[in-house]
Amino acid sequence: MERLPSQKQTAPPQPQLPSPQEWEALIDDLQSGVPSRLPRWLPPGAAPLALLDLLLACVLRRDFPSKPFLLLFLEESPHLLVPSPPDHAAPALSSLVDALRALLQSPADATPAAYALKEQMMVAVTSVAITVDALDHAPRQLEDLVELLLAVVNRPNHGPDRQARAVACECLRELERAYPCLLSEVAGHLWNLCQSERTHAAQSYVLLLTLVVHNIVQHSVPPTAMGILSTSVQLVPFNVPGYLGTVAGKNQDLSELNLRDIRRIMAFLLERPMILTPLATAEMVFMLTRVVKALEGQMSAAAALLKVQFSGLIYSYDPMLCHVVLMLYSHFSDAFSGDEQNITHRLTLVSKEGQQPVVFRLLALHWLVGVASRPPDKKNLLVPMASSFYPSVFDPLGLKAAKLDVLALIAIVLGFSRGEKGKKDKEVDNSKSGDCVAKLFEDCLVCVSAFRWLPPWSTETSVAFRTLHKFLTGAVPHHSSDNSTMSILMESTTFNTLQNILVNMAVEHPGLVPVIAAFVDRLKGCETHRQLGERLLQTFDECLLPKIVMGYRVSAYFPIFERIAENVKIPPRHLLELLLRFMVFLAEKHGPDVGLRSWSQGSKVLRICRTVLMNHRSSRVFSALSRLLSFTSQFFPDLEVRDNARIYLRMLVCIPGKKMRHLVNLGEQLLGVTPSPHTGLFYQVPSPRSSPKKPSGISSYIRLERVIPLLVNQLWSLTIPYLAAKDYEPVNPEGSRSIDSVDVSGSADVTIEADGNFERISSTQEPLRVMDSKVSKILDILRRHFSCIPDFRHMKGLVIKIPCNLRFDAGVFSQVWGTDASSADSDETHALPALYAIVLSVSSTSKYGQIPSCRVPFLLGEPSVKDQAIVPVDNTSPGRSNSRRLVTIELEPREPMPGLVNVVLQANGENGQIISGSLQSIPVGIEDMFLKASVPYNVSENDIRQYYLDLFNALWEACGSSANTGRETFPLKGGKGVAAIHGTGSVKLLEVSADSLIHCIELHLAPFVVCVMGGPLLSALKSNGIIKNVIWKEEHTTPTDHNDDVSTFAESTSPLQIQYIKDEDESDSLLDIRRTSLGSFFVLIFLPPRFHLLFQMEVHDTSTLVRIRTDHWPCLGYVDEYLEALFLV
Amino acid sequence: MSDDGSCCSVRAIWILNPQDSVVFSRRFPVVEKRWRTACQKEREGAGGGCAEPWLLPTDEELALAFAERRRREGSTHGFGIRSSQSVQGSDSWIDDPITRHVISLSITSKRGGGEKFLLWPLVFHLQAYFHILVLPLVEPQHLKTYERISQRSDCGSSVGGQESLSSLLLDLPCITGAFLVAHSLGDIITGENLDPEVVVSSTPSVGGLLDSLTGSIGISSISARAKPAAASVSSSTTSGSAVSGASSDAPKSSSRSIDRDALRSFISSSMPFGTPLDLNYANIAAIKLNGFSSSDVPPLDLKQPAWKPYLYKGKQRMLFTIHEIVHAAMYDRDEIPDAISISGQVNCRAELEGLPDVSFPLTGLNTARVEVLSFHPCAQVPEQGMDKHAVMFSPPLGNFVLMRYQAFCNLDPPVKGFYQLSMVSENEGAFLFKLRLMEGYKAPLSMEYCTVSMPFPRRGLVFFDGNPSVGTISTTEHSVEWKIITPGRGISGKSIEATFPGTIRFSPQSTQKVSSASRFMNGCISEDDSDLEQENSSNSANVEEFLMEKMNKEIPPADMEQPFCWQAYNYAKVRILLLQLSVATIANWQSFCFSLCPFFFHLVSFKVVGGTLSGMTMDPKSVSIYPAVKAPVEFSMQMIQVKGRCEEGAGVLNRVAKLGR
Repeated sequence: MERLPSQKQTAPPQPQLPSPQEWEALIDDLQSGVPSRLPRWLPPGAAPLALLDLLLACVLRRDFPSKPFLLLFLEESPHLLVPSPPDHAAPALSSLVDALRALLQSPADATPAAYALKEQMMVAVTSVAITVDALDHAPRQLEDLVELLLAVVNRPNHGPDRQARAVACECLRELERAYPCLLSEVAGHLWNLCQSERTHAAQSYVLLLTLVVHNIVQHSVPPTAMGILSTSVQLVPFNVPGYLGTVAGKNQDLSELNLRDIRRIMAFLLERPMILTPLATAEMVFMLTRVVKALEGQMSAAAALLKVQFSGLIYSYDPMLCHVVLMLYSHFSDAFSGDEQNITHRLTLVSKEGQQPVVFRLLALHWLVGVASRPPDKKNLLVPMASSFYPSVFDPLGLKAAKLDVLALIAIVLGFSRGEKGKKDKEVDNSKSGDCVAKLFEDCLVCVSAFRWLPPWSTETSVAFRTLHKFLTGAVPHHSSDNSTMSILMESTTFNTLQNILVNMAVEHPGLVPVIAAFVDRLKGCETHRQLGERLLQTFDECLLPKIVMGYRVSAYFPIFERIAENVKIPPRHLLELLLRFMVFLAEKHGPDVGLRSWSQGSKVLRICRTVLMNHRSSRVFSALSRLLSFTSQFFPDLEVRDNARIYLRMLVCIPGKKMRHLVNLGEQLLGVTPSPHTGLFYQVPSPRSSPKKPSGISSYIRLERVIPLLVNQLWSLTIPYLAAKDYEPVNPEGSRSIDSVDVSGSADVTIEADGNFERISSTQEPLRVMDSKVSKILDILRRHFSCIPDFRHMKGLVIKIPCNLRFDAGVFSQVWGTDASSADSDETHALPALYAIVLSVSSTSKYGQIPSCRVPFLLGEPSVKDQAIVPVDNTSPGRSNSRRLVTIELEPREPMPGLVNVVLQANGENGQIISGSLQSIPVGIEDMFLKASVPYNVSENDIRQYYLDLFNALWEACGSSANTGRETFPLKGGKGVAAIHGTGSVKLLEVSADSLIHCIELHLAPFVVCVMGGPLLSALKSNGIIKNVIWKEEHTTPTDHNDDVSTFAESTSPLQIQYIKDEDESDSLLDIRRTSLGSFFVLIFLPPRFHLLFQMEVHDTSTLVRIRTDHWPCLGYVDEYLEALFLV
Repeated sequence: MSDDGSCCSVRAIWILNPQDSVVFSRRFPVVEKRWRTACQKEREGAGGGCAEPWLLPTDEELALAFAERRRREGSTHGFGIRSSQSVQGSDSWIDDPITRHVISLSITSKRGGGEKFLLWPLVFHLQAYFHILVLPLVEPQHLKTYERISQRSDCGSSVGGQESLSSLLLDLPCITGAFLVAHSLGDIITGENLDPEVVVSSTPSVGGLLDSLTGSIGISSISARAKPAAASVSSSTTSGSAVSGASSDAPKSSSRSIDRDALRSFISSSMPFGTPLDLNYANIAAIKLNGFSSSDVPPLDLKQPAWKPYLYKGKQRMLFTIHEIVHAAMYDRDEIPDAISISGQVNCRAELEGLPDVSFPLTGLNTARVEVLSFHPCAQVPEQGMDKHAVMFSPPLGNFVLMRYQAFCNLDPPVKGFYQLSMVSENEGAFLFKLRLMEGYKAPLSMEYCTVSMPFPRRGLVFFDGNPSVGTISTTEHSVEWKIITPGRGISGKSIEATFPGTIRFSPQSTQKVSSASRFMNGCISEDDSDLEQENSSNSANVEEFLMEKMNKEIPPADMEQPFCWQAYNYAKVRILLLQLSVATIANWQSFCFSLCPFFFHLVSFKVVGGTLSGMTMDPKSVSIYPAVKAPVEFSMQMIQVKGRCEEGAGVLNRVAKLGR
């Protein structure tokens, strides 16, 4: 359709005109932007204006039915008919004007419909002319159009076409509006026409004239010498004034002559404004206002004139007329000075007018507020009218709300004036007007009083709370940054009243609590008024909590509790105490008919606890919260609640504050805690996923280390496989006496074993032997001792504990797991990554029995050492800081042997990753097996030392070469198994000075020393005071069984002698070993499960001879290395 | 209020049906061009800070945006005040009830590639389930101001603050004008553009302008519009009309289609180029229909007002009717005075030749405690002295409302009594009415009819039993009607007593979902308080209180156009409620609509004839016409319609209302 521009102007010779229905379809299509049906009427190559021509042809046809419809289309959619204005405006407009002319000059058809068509055609053509920018693109045609319209207008008082003339005036007015000053040259003619027209069309003439004058004044056209009203320029033919393109803003005053003309026109216009309709009056006043405004300097009294003429309109019930007066008022408030009272009063009354639609009553209130707020501030005018704004019963709620707004405004004005007065006047006056505000405040709530017993979502409730809000916040506007006003407000009557109202409301109507909470939220969400919300919460904490009656209704207050718990500034102690009482109440009331209520309420309480955990420092809430939680976890009837309480309690105890906040955070943003990328991990783990990284890598940054490093890193112990024990067994000549094989048959024995020898002896198949008293005493002691050793095959064996530190390197961890922990504020524990719910599974190939796994709830990363040159002191002390956790590995050895334990770690990272992998193995040394022998229960405290010594002696004997006890068996605790002693001995000479030896013993072996002999030694030890509770013997005697001792000694000393021979100088001292002896240590070490290691250490100045006896010979090897490491390294 | 000399222009008009599709739209390209020019200027002035002016939305875009707003704001009008679900930038965020009427739409422009822009101010008027939207022309800076206001992140602006909505509305008379346009269009859609009623002794009522033109003969073919029905007097203006207990948002499929041609022709004539000049439908229709002939001569010395295109010719007379509507809240309590306020109007019909001025003193003003007086635009009001009111006016053709007033009650009500109801269960109750009619009223005051109706818009009536001492009962599924006095058997000069005991049962209430509006409001209440309910059921010492609470729970929130939640009052006092039913009047005839209620409100309507409740009156002899002409003046006082409710909350309110005096 656009392909061929305007070359072919030839319209289709005699086109088939579309029918009205077809037009309707066509227009529908065109307006919806789907011109699919267009080709039916227009060939694809048709001229761009073909459609317009088609339309005009239809309009001009005599009997075409729906012409108004087509004209409407023309008026509404000129862009469809004249697709590109710059090119087509002229031809289109000329054919339009031709059509209009044809229509207007058609033989007089006096039917109303014919006139209506003409009127509509004028409007449509004018509309098109304006939309296609006729002045720019088709000035010639525009002149034609204006000429046509002026011709219509130029027949004042003609009877039948008066409406058409009115419409023509409107068309001219629209053109004048679009092209200001278009008609200014013919103003004189218009003035004459206007004066002579007497039909109802006069209104349009008046408006046209007003606009022309308005534009002349606004744009200050070049003043003609003849005056504005001269008729020197002919009305017809019409020419576009030459200056039209250059009309600019007003910058020059009108000449005296012109001014006089304008005065005349004004006087005429104001003569009888009553002939205009309300909307036309508004138009006229609007234009006159601008004229007067522009000429304010030159026409002083004009504003007052306008006021006199129009201010009576405010008593009309037509809202537009009221607005006209307000329009005047807002432009010429000086002229109205003194009348403000009238205006505000009248607007107040309009809002009361029951016959008006609600919207106008609302508008009246808005106008009122607008008028009062305009500078100069006239809000004081409202105060005496306060009572007029009390809503009446039958006011719609929206209106009530608006009236309450005004009342709030008044209260604020009152409050302010009081504030100012309060500085000067007496206290009494102050409180009086304060009362006034408070009363106003309370009165306001009465009109929506129903909200108290309506459901919280009722509109009345919303309106009531909205009013509260307005009353409260109005005093401190949002843009003010003045803190002092805020603090004044906090102390104000309004706020105090409000607090009381809310507290009482909450007490009496628990159902409203959610709304109150929402109210607080609204305040808290606001930059300016946050303090108010917080203060309210404080009030609730102080005043509401004590008033709450214990009962199921307490749960209604949870929304407020939540807010209190959230607020950092309010110590939650009161709240937690209340909740504790509530939990006690729930626990007491629990019964079969309670159903799920306990669960529901309990969960809600825990939710609040969670909020408290999240928002408060753990230390601050610790005591109250832990009491609440521990009560809940112990006594609450519902299992799930108990469980959760326990978890919370556990977290409270173990996890530091900030970490915990992240942990218990359900996903919402925390106040005061910087947003963390891994929120909501505890509950919102998407799906547990295994670590994407290699689990083996974790040992590089997660470390489990022994607290006490091993003296000997007995690498070779690695080579002792589990099976090795079996290999030993055949070697053991007394296999029948090892625990494995010694098994008492028959349960009958079990019962009698404890009683005494006789039964036991009779039950065994041992031949009778002769025993001397010494041997029997030894046996007694041993029996007694062994009966205290648990038999691990039947009961829990003895346990050794290896304390270890678990820690991990934050830096490496973060690199691996990609947390943001490496952020700058490294002193904050918050910045460090953490591991949660760590489980260490421990296993070993050595015979350590079942090793229980260890659990650590929380572990904080350790700042990388390389980052921090100085490690804080408290970080180094294990167990104290959260970055190190003491883990105790408990072994239940089946055999006292060193070995390795393997540790596999599983934990949760902060993002919910599951971290797992093996850590470095923990070596177990022989010294880990060292235990003190257990003492029978019937040995008194005082006898323990002696008991140990006796036991030492007995074992020394039994492990000696003598076979006196070799065939004896000793029942173990539990009575199911027996043990036998097969002793071995060894000797070791330690070439260390006595001092260092004593030091070492004090350091490592002190608990095991049962006896010290020899004065010099004693004095050395006693001064140190480390070894206590042992038998001290001044005289130095060799242990019992000297012979045996010597022989062993001889065996063992020979290599030493050889050594010493090398060193000639010291041979003397060598020989003096025994003589220069300072004394002896007797050391008794119990090796689980049931073995012993005995040292007899003869201390000399420069060396020490250690005699070793044991009933578990494989340990000698380890002991040898141990001793060397202990003393020689 | 644009720069180029028009205070009120309309860019576009849309009318949507209840199904949210546009059934009528009208755009004014001339005004649109002005808008674009203004935007262009603003843009140049602001140094490119202003965006390209958006095209008017297409009908579909607008309908979509409107539906979206309804979804977002909870109801068609929106909530108006901020709730927990209000979104920043939306109307309810501004927290002002006027935003239910002056709305904004966020249009997703398809032509603009899905970009959104704000359309404001859209004047929104709902009539007969049609949504009428009128978009007046404002300056771009006003739009920007509104946008800023609606985007503020604070907790809600305070009244009278800087850059407030109030200030905007004061500056924009175009919004006021657009409302007038919207209301006129609404009247055309519903055909409710009725003339105010004027009662003549000979005929029940006389028609409007067309009758005047045709010398009171009445051409039925022209006056296609129905004559004002007796009871329909300005019902559209009474706020909180009693029967609207159901939410006005209820999507009723209106089978009525709108008369597009009538709308088109009205718009073309009343607002050429989008600038409204005359919204008087009667005048416009008359001109359209009659045109002018050469026999219509203009007055010789005066200009004929635009609102009086024709001059009356024929027998001259003047008719006045005072018409009052009474709102009453009454309580059977000594400490709480009843609150009765009256909306009255003086209707007039001046069949006078030429353009005379009429004046008459309002003698009744002294006795009537009149609070508000406002006048027809044709009246000239002396600025001072309400007490010595002489009204001077130049009457238009046809019936018109010369004056409106608000007043307080001067007389005792003609219906007194009480009403008791006790609810046995959720669905069953027993009630008792005891009424005294026309007590102390002497002839010639007469009551023409009196009807008590009990509508139950939300409950189905399954059983009803009761026997009144006077009158007849008729029931439908949702109402019971008790006709105490039927038309034609009116009482005069005597009082009667009427009692009506009965029982009533409803079909069990379906667990209806709380309406979307209440959900909207309900947002702040996240958890169902089932705990409380359990508690109530467990220690149900007070069954009635429990019932009450339970019923309360299902009450949807009241619409902002309602004075209060009627339904709540229905359920409110399930316990015995005594209330004094009273009502007042005298006059030719009075109709009393009284909504009293314990559960479900009741409508008492009656008609008493003989005077006004307010005491407003006028002396026909004192009416003077200039230039003097001999014309009989007839005067009648008319119809009173009373609405009332009785309950405690209102009592407290009443005390507040008293403070206002």
